[in-house]
Amino acid sequence: MSGLPLPLVEVNHISKRYPVLANSSDRLSALWDMLRGRTPTRHTTVLSDINFKVMPGCSIGIIGENGAGKSTLLKLITRVLTPSDGDVVTRGAIGALLELGAGFHPEYSGRENVRLSAALYGIGDAELKEKMAQIEEFADIGRYIDEPTKHYSSGMIVRLGFAIIAAVRPPLLITDEVLGVGDESFQKKCSRWIDDYVNSGGTLLLVSHSMYHVQKLCREAIWLHHGEIEMQGDVFTVTQHYLAWHESRRTGEEVVPDLTKAIFDYGIEKIIYNNAVDDSALTAESGADYTVEVVLTSLDDSMPVVLVGWVREDGTPVYGISSEMDAAVPEKLGPGRYRYRLCFTKIGILPGRYKLRVHSLDSQGLRLFQTIDRHVTITGQSRASGLVFMPHSWE
Amino acid sequence: MKPAYRSVFRELLRRELGERYRGSVLGVLWHLLLPLSQLLVLTWVFSHLLQARTQFEHLGYGAFLALGLWPWNLFSNAVSNSVAALTGNAALIGKIALPHHLLVDAKVSASVLLDLAGFTVVLLVLVFAGTPLKLSGLPVVLLSLAILCVFAIGFANIVAVLNVFLRDVAAAISQILSLLFFVTPVIYDLAQLPEPLRQAMMLNPFAAPIVAIRHAFLGLPIDWWLLGVSGIVAIAMAYLGYALLRRARPHLEDYL
Repeated sequence: MSGLPLPLVEVNHISKRYPVLANSSDRLSALWDMLRGRTPTRHTTVLSDINFKVMPGCSIGIIGENGAGKSTLLKLITRVLTPSDGDVVTRGAIGALLELGAGFHPEYSGRENVRLSAALYGIGDAELKEKMAQIEEFADIGRYIDEPTKHYSSGMIVRLGFAIIAAVRPPLLITDEVLGVGDESFQKKCSRWIDDYVNSGGTLLLVSHSMYHVQKLCREAIWLHHGEIEMQGDVFTVTQHYLAWHESRRTGEEVVPDLTKAIFDYGIEKIIYNNAVDDSALTAESGADYTVEVVLTSLDDSMPVVLVGWVREDGTPVYGISSEMDAAVPEKLGPGRYRYRLCFTKIGILPGRYKLRVHSLDSQGLRLFQTIDRHVTITGQSRASGLVFMPHSWE
Repeated sequence: MKPAYRSVFRELLRRELGERYRGSVLGVLWHLLLPLSQLLVLTWVFSHLLQARTQFEHLGYGAFLALGLWPWNLFSNAVSNSVAALTGNAALIGKIALPHHLLVDAKVSASVLLDLAGFTVVLLVLVFAGTPLKLSGLPVVLLSLAILCVFAIGFANIVAVLNVFLRDVAAAISQILSLLFFVTPVIYDLAQLPEPLRQAMMLNPFAAPIVAIRHAFLGLPIDWWLLGVSGIVAIAMAYLGYALLRRARPHLEDYL
């Protein structure tokens, strides 16, 4: 054994072609080609000459537009598909979450599906007994574990799939964008688990359209474009170039990526506190009006949601409201730029130190992208205790 | 078989066996009831309605038929169940990495196990009903059943793979099996056929094991030469089946 660790995955010049099956005679000729051991005459190339290695402890994000071949690449690495040319060498077990409910038979119960998955990971009966409790606990789907998986919601399927991975803890985890299906608390649980997994030496291969997730979870990135590697390297460099390419495709002009700042799908460009350009707005009087003006950027030009909230110094939320809750419509400043203005009339919070927190969210108000906190001191004469002023009268 | 494969195979087999009567009230009892009711119906139709007779004086037609029909069903059910072994598991193939032959193996094994159980039940009933079966023929019976199983594995792989490319195979195979059924001496005895036809019949590789099973139970001479040829053809067929599956392996996902 040499000192250097061996790569967990070596992808050696692989290509993948799919046969064209437009009509039934194509199937017949494909069968004939297969029997003679030839490549089908009519085919489309999905991936060509892909070449890279995954070292233990790496975390690589694979990005690219729809149809770039990302999912096919993952399937080739997990050996679900066989490359048309080249080969893939893997060392050790691979945990894969590729498609929603992949490998789950809809007629069988969650427990039975877990048994087959476990067997495929090489887990014996005795070990499975031990892990089953762990899986049930992590999935947290209660009595549904004994129901056929066809009765599951998509969230439950992901929960169960992820619970198996968490119990097996394979040396390499490959996941396609499926985790987004789970609810807020489960997504957090998964994120935490993956963070912990990567930090404790796990290796991750992740396909995602969310640059936020890729930048958060991966250190390297591979940008696939029309079945070829367009760029490969540090996650920030690659994602920035990728986003710049998207930008230039939209505007029709060359865009030089700004590598100095992280780019969010929905980001906060600037915030103006109480109409002030200097720091005077960082103190405000209790009972006076306070305005917050936020300019948001949106990569896909859809209308982002802003969430503005007051938080006490110790993190206790006092009040938060989003544009989506009030169905507020922003002013469009230009392509992908939106301005919201929010006025808190007669702010009813008691004097003290607070944080004014601004979040940018996607257009459904579901996923959170960027957060900016600013200290604001509320001044005033009130000696009442607590956090908020409640209108009252003595009778 | 690698240890991981073994537990995957066991899991797949468990599914196949469990699936058969999933959701039925009687469940496993069907495995006993079906062969018995089938035996009753056949005996009644052939011996009472059609007055069918065999040249074996001491053997009722029902017993005669049963000795050929269950071995035949063992083969034919295994093949017809396996047509969909790959197409029916599209949820697994192309989604997770799984040795494809295990899917076919599990289908064939489940089908064979159920038919063996049925055959055992039928034999027990026949013995209780006073049919003079010679237990000394058991080794030959087992050998012949093994040959049929090897045939089944070979055919199963071939039809399962072809069905991935051409779904017509599923429709065609039931017709082909019923044709094979009639050219194999199951419902009739070879001795009832005129001489030239009888010779031609023995070219059918399925005829030898079926005839051998019947003869072994009745204590009649076995045609070892024909049985041997049949065994070799069966092994060649199984080899062909696995070779085809191996060759088709990289292409299967593309056509499912």
